[in-house]
Amino acid sequence: MEVNRNVTLTRYAEYNCAFRYIVEQGIEARYIMPPALTKRTEEIGSKYSPDFVCTPFKTTLGSEIEALEAGADTILMTYGVCRLGYYGELQEQILRDLGYTFEFINLEEYNTGRIRDLLTTIRRLNPKINVAKLTRSALDAVKMVEYLDEVTAEYYKGCGFDASGEYKKAYKRFLTAMYTATSREEITAGYRRVKEDFQRIPLDKPMRPLRVGIVGEFYTAMDAFSNLETEQKLADMGVEVHRWMNITNQFLHNKGIKNLAVKIRDLCTYHMGPTSTANIWAAKEYAERGFDGLIHIKSANCTPEIDIMPVLQNIGADYKIPVLFLTFDSQTSDVGLMTRLEAFYDMIQMRKKVV
Amino acid sequence: MENAYLGIDVGSISTKGAIIDDNNQIISSSYIWTQGDPIGAVKQLLHLLEEGFDKERYKIVATGSTGSARKLVGTIIGATMVKNEITAHAVGTTTFYPDVRTILEIGGQDSKIILVENGVAVDYAMNTLCAAGTGAFLSSQAKRLGIEVEEIGEYALRSKHPTQIAARCTVFAESDLVHKIQMGHPREDIIAGVCNAVVANYLNNVGKGKKIISPVVFQGGVSKNQGVVAAFERTLDCKVIVDENGHLMGALGAAILAKRSTKRQEFDFAVEDMEFYTREANCGRCSNNCEIICVYHRDGKMIDSWGNRCDRGAQSVG
Repeated sequence: MEVNRNVTLTRYAEYNCAFRYIVEQGIEARYIMPPALTKRTEEIGSKYSPDFVCTPFKTTLGSEIEALEAGADTILMTYGVCRLGYYGELQEQILRDLGYTFEFINLEEYNTGRIRDLLTTIRRLNPKINVAKLTRSALDAVKMVEYLDEVTAEYYKGCGFDASGEYKKAYKRFLTAMYTATSREEITAGYRRVKEDFQRIPLDKPMRPLRVGIVGEFYTAMDAFSNLETEQKLADMGVEVHRWMNITNQFLHNKGIKNLAVKIRDLCTYHMGPTSTANIWAAKEYAERGFDGLIHIKSANCTPEIDIMPVLQNIGADYKIPVLFLTFDSQTSDVGLMTRLEAFYDMIQMRKKVV
Repeated sequence: MENAYLGIDVGSISTKGAIIDDNNQIISSSYIWTQGDPIGAVKQLLHLLEEGFDKERYKIVATGSTGSARKLVGTIIGATMVKNEITAHAVGTTTFYPDVRTILEIGGQDSKIILVENGVAVDYAMNTLCAAGTGAFLSSQAKRLGIEVEEIGEYALRSKHPTQIAARCTVFAESDLVHKIQMGHPREDIIAGVCNAVVANYLNNVGKGKKIISPVVFQGGVSKNQGVVAAFERTLDCKVIVDENGHLMGALGAAILAKRSTKRQEFDFAVEDMEFYTREANCGRCSNNCEIICVYHRDGKMIDSWGNRCDRGAQSVG
């Protein structure tokens, strides 16, 4: 294996296991895993970011700095359809001004829709790339993402009803298996094991548990550190937590969002931004399925998600479902979040008894 | 011996306590300033509550704590129920006003709105990143104008032509206010303008998108301010009910919640003579560097700790 590059891509929920897999198995370069996000990541990120940029920019910048400190020399940055599209350029400039030496590959520049352009990027990482091997490992990585999303969704639906802690242990074991996998067999084995564990561990779930649907901005709603573990906190109170949004549903299979514009015709006329339109659909879907509450998660200054707040309020009024709006930035306190979540839980619980 | 229930609500600015009997009647109640010392305030509060309490007739069988210092205070008094202030307010108000539809609450640092249907809360909102338009703003502006915060109401009601004050943000409101003072606007009009600004701010931020249906109950410390009540009535175009015990509603809610729960633990007033102190420690086991608060008895025995994100920072109690 030829190792001449130390590639990194910012921390993003638990997806880094798939990034690592594709870089190490497919591109055959070394992947530098950025350290887990902590307060320090956020602090250094905020220090070098414009004040009014959204929080994911700060977190990812902090994560890139920590990866550079850990020895990365090549940074990949993704593209997106909101301000995220400009973030790569800005982050590169900030990091250069800070005096780091690295190569920055901004996927936005290669986002032309032609596979040839994508291959050009990858050849920058490793000129002697084996395309067949890359394709195979890319498919493995996609499978890994699918498993990860499936298991995570199942985990948050069930973990609130297991007092023994076995459920959480099984999930952590699965994550470790994904982070260390080097072949398709290992990915499948890890997945099978956690599915068996989830089947085996008895859950003390009532017939009709409280169900809460999470919608929100792509980074903050999915990244447990960024939303101060909102999902885990809710689940620990004894709630079945649902979140439609993940990479599998949003990008790979578009589950449920085919014909999206028609499905939410009564709520909005135009496409509203990266994940907003899908969020409106998801919120409506949860409301129609009789969920007990909705939680909308966004980072401060996220314009597309601010736009959909009035629509969510309409959904709340039409379907009589409480909606809690949570905004996260680098200053948000854990105690304040807990107060709001506890109050939300008390409210939906008392409400369920009456209704 | 009849049963009684104690509820304590420790907020950022004031500390409230109430003891109720089985019929939710108040036996003893008190309201004092927290002054940045929740432990001291609670001890003083318990002292005041004890004076009005008939120990021969009642015994306190359950205790509830609420407010932003609920955890600290709950640990110290050995509360059987520690509840967030939103639930406590909703439960307190719906007990005394079963047909209420909207609860407006403005406290020292926070403000919330709770929508009620069939006697249970169905939706709520609380101010998030900004404490604009709360009691703290009113008292700092009162100080600037050289009057006591308790007098704001009287002044505001005397005004015929309230001054327009920018309501969006406390900082803008303040500079606008200074400007209006220097322009020569009468003091009454400015104060009435401040009250209007508080209401506009509340309805535009916390109350945004919420349908306010009468009967409306207004509570929290700011509800004692006649000027703000009048401004609410004018803006909402409906009667706004202010309970004489509106400032105690959180404490009453905590007492009612303690009563409803099955947990029982007799409360002893001796706690007011005990010494407690807290210490802050930085975990340092990872770069999160959680700030852990440890609560100790005077004799150095730790009774509780919190603030750690994971088990690595867990402190052993005892």
